[in-house]
Amino acid sequence: MADSKQHATAIAVSLALLTTTGEHAVAQNASELEARLQAGAMMSTRRGNPLPLNALALTPGIRYADRRFSVSASGEAWLNGERWELGSSAAAFQAQTPLLHGVRAEVLANATRRFVDPSLQNDQLDAEGRVHFMRQRGGVWLGSGVARPLRVSTVTNVNVNSGGVWTRLGSTTLRGSVTSFFFTKLASPDTIEETVPCTAQLDAAQPLAPTGTGMAAIQSSNPGCRHQSRLTDLEASVRWQHRLLELTVRGGQRFGNSFDVTPESRQWASGQAAFWVSSQVAAVAGGGKEPAQPTRGLPARSFGSLGLMLAYWPIPRGVVPVATPASLINAFELRPAGTAVQRITARIGGVESVEIMGDFSDWTALPLIRRGRDQWELLVPMSAGVHHINLRIDRGQWIAPPGMPTMKDGFNGEVGVLVIKP
Amino acid sequence: MKAHPGRLASALLLTLMLASGASAQEGRDPLMRLERTARYSVEVLMDSARLMGLPTRPIESKVLEGLSKNASPRLILAVARNVFRSLRDARAALGPKATLDELDAAASALRVGMTQSELGQLGRSQHGKLLTVPLVVLVDLISRGVPRDTASQTIFQLWQRGAADDDFLGLWRGVERDIVSGADPGAALLNRARQVPSREPPPVSPPRPE
Repeated sequence: MADSKQHATAIAVSLALLTTTGEHAVAQNASELEARLQAGAMMSTRRGNPLPLNALALTPGIRYADRRFSVSASGEAWLNGERWELGSSAAAFQAQTPLLHGVRAEVLANATRRFVDPSLQNDQLDAEGRVHFMRQRGGVWLGSGVARPLRVSTVTNVNVNSGGVWTRLGSTTLRGSVTSFFFTKLASPDTIEETVPCTAQLDAAQPLAPTGTGMAAIQSSNPGCRHQSRLTDLEASVRWQHRLLELTVRGGQRFGNSFDVTPESRQWASGQAAFWVSSQVAAVAGGGKEPAQPTRGLPARSFGSLGLMLAYWPIPRGVVPVATPASLINAFELRPAGTAVQRITARIGGVESVEIMGDFSDWTALPLIRRGRDQWELLVPMSAGVHHINLRIDRGQWIAPPGMPTMKDGFNGEVGVLVIKP
Repeated sequence: MKAHPGRLASALLLTLMLASGASAQEGRDPLMRLERTARYSVEVLMDSARLMGLPTRPIESKVLEGLSKNASPRLILAVARNVFRSLRDARAALGPKATLDELDAAASALRVGMTQSELGQLGRSQHGKLLTVPLVVLVDLISRGVPRDTASQTIFQLWQRGAADDDFLGLWRGVERDIVSGADPGAALLNRARQVPSREPPPVSPPRPE
């Protein structure tokens, strides 16, 4: 039986087996194919409707991205007892214009299914247009769109307007956004979950009936009554990555009147930490509070998670023509490490091999040694002077490492040009 | 178990053969990987370079690079010839005192369209400084879409104003960032060049006759 304060608590203990076929596998035209399968055990409870503790989830997903557009789909299937059930799933399309004077236009369209538990799930179609103004280390965007929840009798179309700002400071990414929702709710027995009555017909001082009986009476007496809802979310997040540790913290505040915003959705905060024990094993822990999604009739919930990510490996090469996207390389540095020796360090995540070659190695490929999840290192004998250098990831295409001047190599590629001072 | 003397001797012989094979392979000319006709042409090219007092290392390095990148022998030979020609022209423009790195960088600049006279002009106003970094930056800027004339003139002006290696590298970083952000390459260079401080006072104009 539903409670007046619908509160769902999910504790996920996931042992995730993440088999990634084609993490950032990139075709010659910079297109990208990514597929993943995640398996895990999860337990979740919602007052009055517990989910079995031994539920097992499989989460397959696939994404194709080109310079101009990307399409992706992901899903989740639950082993509930002895029966498989479809969980949350999503399909998305995104298209963008080329960057012109730092300005880019973007169109996004999504079809999503949200699954909280077997008794609480629904679908939504949405589309949004955005304009981005981007610089090297930050940017702002403005967007506007519309969402259409399905299988939610209380809501019509939702107008969504958003704006945001982001910046990258070293290994920290800060992001802030404001999103406003405007929609019409139809008074029905279901709306009691969000305590949103038809105000035009109600005395504001009158306490709301905690059960469906009172609302049903209101609706039956006013079958056409509607409520205009407006609420605004202010959200900020910080993501910090250092060596083997990744931390993400987010928090937000919701503005709106008491009919639209329940007390437990006024503020929320959550955090997640991943510690990479080795290149293929990470301990993941997180928890916090998520606000309600009144447009979809989904309640606020608290959650906690503790998991172990066991494996992660890319697509067998040769399945997709592969090139190396420079964007994969988070850092590439050379530092003197003795007389005529340079220490090359690179931060490149989610790959299996990194190699360099250049005039200093007579153009023989030298593999870098993995020092952490995304840390690679090699000591290379390199005297003072000008050197030409190439880098490749997962035996892809040879590219010029970032952060140094480049020149054409004469073989339809580029080399990086290093100047090492005496 | 008793070791058979015949087997022992065979194993020893095999080990010796493998070891001698490996050491022969280590000492082998890396150009041996190149197809025979192309290798002969490259060797002739390198002999010509030696006779002219040009460094052969850039030519050999380019051939090895082509081999590692699985380029066809024909393309490798064409690129090696281009390197040879540009080295020869760079030496003619900069003179015999140019260092190996300067020659290599100057040859790259010629290959992206800089003229010999522009290179000579730069070389004549060296004042003891090395031309390597300005030329490396120039080559990169042209590769990124900065018009050739704009790039050469700007680098030349900064060079005359006494810009140091770090100034040129800082300029390159700024222009690269602007281009990635969507700026016009030529405008980005001109804009960033204005921010490079002048290291030397402008030349004093000769006094006017009374």
